[in-house]
Amino acid sequence: MAKLIVNDIYKNFGGLQVLKGVSFSIEGPELIGLIGPNGAGKTTLTNILVGALKPTSGTVYLNRERIDTRPAYGVAKVGLGRTFQVTRAFRRMTVLENLLVPAMALNMTARQRDFEEKAQEVLKFLTIAHLRNEYARALSGGQQKLLELGRLLMLDPDIIILDEPFAGVHPRLMEVIYRYITEVNAQNKAFIIISHDMDTIFTLSKRLLVLNYGDLIADSDPEVARKDPAVKAAYLGEDEE
Amino acid sequence: MNNNKLSRAIDILYRLAGLITVVLLLALPLASEEMNGLGPLVFSGYFMHLAITAFYYAILASSWSLLAGYAGQFSFGHMAFMAVGGYTSGLIGKFMRFTTAPTELCTDIPLPGGWWLVILNARRVGTIDETCIDMAKTQTLAAGTLIVFPPVWLSIAMGLVMGAIFGLLVGWLVLRLRSTYLALFTIGFSEILRAAISAEIPITEGQSGLELVPLFPGGISLFGQTFNDTSKIPPYYAMLILFLLAMLLMTWLANSRFGLFIRAIREDEEAAAALGVNIVRYKVLVFVITSTLAAAAGALQAHYIGIITPNILIILQMSLVISMAVIGGLENIYAASVGALVITFALELLRTNINIGPLRIDMSLWRLVFFGLLLMLTLRFQRNGLLSPLLERLNRAGVAEETVSTRTPVARKEAPRS
Repeated sequence: MAKLIVNDIYKNFGGLQVLKGVSFSIEGPELIGLIGPNGAGKTTLTNILVGALKPTSGTVYLNRERIDTRPAYGVAKVGLGRTFQVTRAFRRMTVLENLLVPAMALNMTARQRDFEEKAQEVLKFLTIAHLRNEYARALSGGQQKLLELGRLLMLDPDIIILDEPFAGVHPRLMEVIYRYITEVNAQNKAFIIISHDMDTIFTLSKRLLVLNYGDLIADSDPEVARKDPAVKAAYLGEDEE
Repeated sequence: MNNNKLSRAIDILYRLAGLITVVLLLALPLASEEMNGLGPLVFSGYFMHLAITAFYYAILASSWSLLAGYAGQFSFGHMAFMAVGGYTSGLIGKFMRFTTAPTELCTDIPLPGGWWLVILNARRVGTIDETCIDMAKTQTLAAGTLIVFPPVWLSIAMGLVMGAIFGLLVGWLVLRLRSTYLALFTIGFSEILRAAISAEIPITEGQSGLELVPLFPGGISLFGQTFNDTSKIPPYYAMLILFLLAMLLMTWLANSRFGLFIRAIREDEEAAAALGVNIVRYKVLVFVITSTLAAAAGALQAHYIGIITPNILIILQMSLVISMAVIGGLENIYAASVGALVITFALELLRTNINIGPLRIDMSLWRLVFFGLLLMLTLRFQRNGLLSPLLERLNRAGVAEETVSTRTPVARKEAPRS
C-alpha cells in the first residue's frame, strides 16, 4: 500500500519561487488530478517527487523512506514512476528492450529472458504487441506514449505520475490510456495525473490538487474544488458557467 | 514461429563465422616467413607487423565504439588512456628494481621474503648517465646482491591498473558533461598528458621517447620452436589473444544488462534514471572498462615496438581510431574492429605509387587524402558505417514480417494510430 508524505516543499530557481510550501499526502491507490495554469509548478513538483530535482527545503517520504535526498534511480526503486510531458522512448532501442530496462534495473540478478513473458503481456495490454522487435523510433507518437506507460508497468511502482498523458492524443488512443489508468489503479496503484484536459481530469480523478504560482490552493474532491472561488479565479476562470 | 528459426540460423551463422575467423587468425603465423610459409602462401615479417598493428588498432577502435557508440560518451581521450598504459609499463621498467639488499642510495621499500623494491632516481639531462643503482653497485651493495628487473607481465598489469584509475577519474569528472563539452574536456586531458610527457624529460625522455624491453625479453618457445625477442610471432599471439579477450569481454557486456543500460543512457539519461538505472555507476564503469582495454593495448604495443613517444597522443592518432570505428560502424563493436583491421592494411597497401602516363602520384602522401574522403563520404551517406548496416540487416531479418503477421485484426481495431 503506497504512502506518500510531501511536507512543506519549497523550490527556488535563483530569485524565482516556484514552489512555496507544498504539502499533501497520498494513502493507498488514489486517483489524483494535479492541475494549474502554466508556470504553476506542476512539473517542478513532479521532478522533486521523482528525485530529478532537489527541493530548496522540505521533505518527501515514500513508504517510510525519505526520498527527496535520493537520486532519481533510487526513488524509482522505492516505488515512484513517471512519464514525461514530451515522450521519451529510447528511440534507437527495440520496444522489447525499452521494457527490459526498468525490469533489469529493478532486479539486478535476473536475466533478460526472465522478463520477456511479462513484457509480452504488457505489450498486449497496450495493444502494441506486434511491434515488440521494432525500434521505438519507428513507432507513432501515440504508440510511443503507450510504450512509456508499458515501461512503468515493468517498473511496477506504487505511485505513477503521468505528465500530460492526453496531450495530442487521438480519441481511440485516449480509450486505451483511460483503460490503462483504471485497470492499473484497480491493482492498488496510485496515480497523479497532470493535465489541462478538464473534462478527463474531472471524470477520472477522485481528488484534485490545484497549484497556482507555487501555492497549493486546493486539495479536495473535484466537485468541491470546481466550486472553490480561489480555484475559479486562478484557473477555471471564465471557463466556469 | 518462422522468425525464431531464422534468427537461430543467423545466430549459428555468426558463431560459425566467428569460429572460422578465430581459427584462421590463430593459424596465420604458420604461413609466415619465419615458419617457412605454407606452400605458395608466405607472409613476410612486414605483413606480421601490420597484423599486430591492426589488432592493436582494432582493440582501440572497438573499445572506443563501446564508449562512444553504445554509451554515447564521445571521448577524444581514448589514446591518452592507451598512453597511460604504455608509459606506466615503460616507467616501471625504467625506475623499478627488485634487490636482495637495500641500496641506501635509492628509495628502498622493504618487501616480504627479504626482497627490496628499489625506486630509482630520475636521471638529469646533460650529466653522466648514472643512476643510483649504478652507484650502489660499486659503493653500497655487496657482491652477489641480486638486482632483478620487474617482469614485463607485472609492469603491463600495472599499466592496466593505472588505465583503470585514470578512467575512473576522468569518468567521474565528465559525469555532468555532454557531447561537445565532453569532447573538449577529453581533448584537454589528452593534450595535458602529452605536454606533461614532453616536458618531463628526466622521467619520460620527452620527445626522444621512452625505451621499453621487448615483450618476451629472453625469447620464448612456442610449438617446439624457439623465437628470439625480435620475432614477430610471439607478439602476434600476445596481441591477438588480447584482442580476442577484449572482444569476448565486450560481447558479454554488450549483451548483458550493462549493454542495455548504457544504450538507454545514450538515448536519454533522465528517462533511464527515472526507470531505476544508476546512471552514475554505469557511466563511470564504461569509462573504466574501455580505458583499461585501451591501456592494455597501449602497454602491449609499446613493449612490442620497444619505444613510446608523446606523438602517439597527437590528435591525428585519435582521429585515426575514431575514423576506423566510424567507417566500420560506430554502434557495433565488431563493425568497428573490422573497420580497424581493414583500414590498417588498406592504408599500407595505398602506399604503392600510381603512375598514369607521365603523371606520378605519390601515394605515401595522398593516401591520407583518400582516407579522409572515405570518412567524409561515410559520414554523409552511411552514418552508421559501411559494415554495420549489413550486420543490422542480418540481425533484424524477419522483424518486419513478424510485425505484420502478428498484428491481429483485433489489435488492428484497437491499436490506435494517432
